[in-house]
Amino acid sequence: MSMKRILHVEHSACTSQLCQIRDKVREACHVLMYSDSDINLITLVIDEACTNIIRYAYGGESGRIILEIFQHENEAIFHLQDFAKCIDKSCLELRKTNILEPGGLGLQLIYQVMDFVQLLPPRGSVGNILELKKHLPKGSQNDL
Amino acid sequence: MTFEQKKHLHYQLLALTGEVDLHNSPQVRKQLLDIVESGYSVIVDFSALSYIDSSGIATLVEAYNLAKNNQLSLTIVGATGAPLQVMELTHLNKVFPMIDSLDEIKG
Repeated sequence: MSMKRILHVEHSACTSQLCQIRDKVREACHVLMYSDSDINLITLVIDEACTNIIRYAYGGESGRIILEIFQHENEAIFHLQDFAKCIDKSCLELRKTNILEPGGLGLQLIYQVMDFVQLLPPRGSVGNILELKKHLPKGSQNDL
Repeated sequence: MTFEQKKHLHYQLLALTGEVDLHNSPQVRKQLLDIVESGYSVIVDFSALSYIDSSGIATLVEAYNLAKNNQLSLTIVGATGAPLQVMELTHLNKVFPMIDSLDEIKG
């Protein structure tokens, strides 16, 4: 079964864009037939990933974020691409242990909600692609 | 996101409306820290809040720690939906006092 693209959007890497990105993620997750509860959590995770790109990958400089959502067999696949300097895979390692200490909460939420998290090699000479996967709800893969 | 602040005798109420994210959490942070630094406990009303991200949560944690260090409190009221899910996911619902309604507040 081939990958079916559900969403492809490109935004400037700016905090004012986060609201629009969340709206598009919610719409796509409705199409994928996730529950309201899962839609809330997936929207949160994509928002956290975009936030990390804005804060750490671009570090306040201007740039672009491409979000693609695919449906493949029993999974939804989320690709977040930036065009900043390549980051080290160690940036995706969880370090935080105490919720009351600052830092690392966004990454912790990403791992809690998603079934699979990895960095893919960039398509060009710069940038990063974060791949996130989450199982689809039962039944939805047959209906799409 | 909008907010409304009300002074009461023993605490100040900060009611948040809409979505808190990296774009506007600095505003929330300033309001919360100003309240605590002025010597008031704070109740954050989530009743009309539809979304909060980790930057908003980090702001709450910072204000909670500051309040605790000053023998004050930070309480959350009326959390439902996505904000409640975030609180549960981070286990902060077991750290912060959380109440369903302002009717539970005395004073």
